[in-house]
Amino acid sequence: MTLAIGVPPMSRGSVGKYITMDGLTGFLDRVECIGEVERLAGEARAAGASLCVIWIGIDRFRQINSSFGHRAGDNVLAKLAHRMKSSAAEGDLYGRLGGDEFVVLLPGSDLAAAEMEAERIQQVLKAPMEIGQVRFRPSGSMGIAQLNAVEPPLNVLERADRAMLAAKRLGGGQYVVSGEELVPGRFGNPLAREELAVEELIHEALEAGGLSLHYQPILGVGGELDGVEALMRCRVRDQDLTPATFIPVAEKTGLIVRLGEWSLITAARMVQQLHARGNPVKVAVNISRAQLTAPKFCQALHAVLACTDAPASLLELELTESLFMDMSDNVRRNLGEALEAGLPLAIDDFGTGYSCLAYLKDLPAKKIKLDRAFVVGLPEDRKSFAIVRTVAQLARDLGMTVVAEGVETVAQYESLCEAGVMAVQGFLFSRPLAEDRLDLWLQQRGGQ
Amino acid sequence: MIIEATSRNGAGPLDQYLADTIRQLGIPPRPAILERVAAEMQRDEPDFRSLARIISADVSIAGSLLKLVNSPFFGYRQKARTVQDALSMLGLSTISSAIATIVLRNVLPPSPRLERFWDASARVAQVSGWLVQQLGAEAGVQSEDAYTFSLFRDCGIPIMARRFPSYFDTLARANADAEKQFTEVEDFRHPTNHALVGCLLGQSWWLPENTCIAIRHHHDFVSLRAGGGAFSPAARRLICLAQLAEKLLQDETGLSSCLEWMKMGEACLEILGVSPPEFEELHRQARSVLNPEPAP
Repeated sequence: MTLAIGVPPMSRGSVGKYITMDGLTGFLDRVECIGEVERLAGEARAAGASLCVIWIGIDRFRQINSSFGHRAGDNVLAKLAHRMKSSAAEGDLYGRLGGDEFVVLLPGSDLAAAEMEAERIQQVLKAPMEIGQVRFRPSGSMGIAQLNAVEPPLNVLERADRAMLAAKRLGGGQYVVSGEELVPGRFGNPLAREELAVEELIHEALEAGGLSLHYQPILGVGGELDGVEALMRCRVRDQDLTPATFIPVAEKTGLIVRLGEWSLITAARMVQQLHARGNPVKVAVNISRAQLTAPKFCQALHAVLACTDAPASLLELELTESLFMDMSDNVRRNLGEALEAGLPLAIDDFGTGYSCLAYLKDLPAKKIKLDRAFVVGLPEDRKSFAIVRTVAQLARDLGMTVVAEGVETVAQYESLCEAGVMAVQGFLFSRPLAEDRLDLWLQQRGGQ
Repeated sequence: MIIEATSRNGAGPLDQYLADTIRQLGIPPRPAILERVAAEMQRDEPDFRSLARIISADVSIAGSLLKLVNSPFFGYRQKARTVQDALSMLGLSTISSAIATIVLRNVLPPSPRLERFWDASARVAQVSGWLVQQLGAEAGVQSEDAYTFSLFRDCGIPIMARRFPSYFDTLARANADAEKQFTEVEDFRHPTNHALVGCLLGQSWWLPENTCIAIRHHHDFVSLRAGGGAFSPAARRLICLAQLAEKLLQDETGLSSCLEWMKMGEACLEILGVSPPEFEELHRQARSVLNPEPAP
């Protein structure tokens, strides 16, 4: 927590001016840091001198907080700040930007000098430290940036921040100079600052138990339970990340494969639990392109089955139709092996891409999930109705089931029944339910 | 799919008996106690006291935990007397991994062969932790991390054995294969392998990410020989530490032999920055730790 208190200025000669400082470390606080960067940038440009910035993030700090509590964490931060400052050169300014992130402003230093300073800071951080009886060696990830001739002053801070996140990605305990980062995006697209931060949160969720699955029931039009769809939720530091926030970043960084594997094993465990209680419910899991194109997808499937003993026939894989459109050899082989292992397949979001009916005849899927776009306008939108009815008829003739997603009103439901849809899913019947809520929901249905 | 024709004949009665016992056992679910620790880790101020109460309710876990904390490996000056002592000495992340290893061992069947397996893992784990103290905590890998990783590294093996009747035979072949990757031998005979199973189990139990990645790739000598750039520095280091620990144990105690060191020993030493004379010195030190002179 940053505590801004007014104290007389230190030895900077600006008598009469008050600066705000971070209460825990005695460093400049965030607001003051920004002001100083602007001031120093102005001075450096006027004098034709250099200005470098080092952004420091303490590695694995969240583990200290989660293991020993925030008070212990604050103690560690205060000690680290003391270490950095007590051996600092005169004229260098230290700031705390909040949490475990610090910044050092080095007026007059070129990149080589800044790199030496980063090495020095790393050395002082690395001395062993004890919390209670635990001994550990802290380290920092650092990003270094040098002010260039044209950028707005605060841009240098942003670049240092990005370089720091790049250093974290490399495993921490090192520095990265801005402009020399490895391209972090999976497909060559560099990640934006926010995306790097979201990526950090996903890593945190993977370690701290921040992921969970919620289950939305799918009902046959007669009211019987067809199965449930597992939907991923991510909660970190008491905040919910929406799928729209974390899924795209996970896809860009390749983390989607790990999230996908986590979903598979968690859903399979749910299948097994329900099955063991005499309630064989089919659980559908969304599979991403990155997972399905990986050569070892089916090995992961079998590993999941080995870990959980879930009956394969109750674990359904949902794949978006675009995956079927450009079937590579890997995708073809993976789908074949999944079928061989006994897992049913479903086509998700049907009708949203460039749907090609030809592929339906060769497809090993047994279920089509009609996108909510066709449901939202019902019953008034007769064009949607015509499409739904035609797809339902086609699916029936092909021996497939059609499920309509996003059903919210009784009128929509009745219209879908009239169109011949066989199963429905949506808020009208149930929201996605946390594991314990699903149990309750199933019990209540059983009791009816 | 599963090729088991040869193993049926090759397996002795003991193997068959073991395979049957393992098959009948329930799978290790994610223990509720780990959920509780994870929930506590999410809080601003973890409540050690209530957590200690919950852990103490399971006598076997509480007992094993105290035994672990007080083992010479951790080297604390004071002894932990209560579970709460143990919690505040080790911190929640280490406790979480420690509980995971205890639970895993408890839920899998007691059998002589698996006892040897767990004992071997425990010894490798201790030497790995000791190695960090000798070589320094680089790449953020502390003694506890190396310890947990080595203990969990092969946790997929009992699970594979439970699933696939011919798995012990596969293990024997993989151990004797001087050229293929260990997991390649498994992949040839089964639809998955112990490294992947262990990684997925670890992930679902919220083990540290680098530990899971290292479990997944711990037989990948091809990537290691190429410098291990495919993994994070921490994962790379975990793999090499455990491999070196296993080598030292094999050389100094003559226990459990496999050919992994032939395939990746050189790469491990290079990645850990251990020169041939230092390697000799480590042997010498390990000898005195593993085979202390009997007291006169």
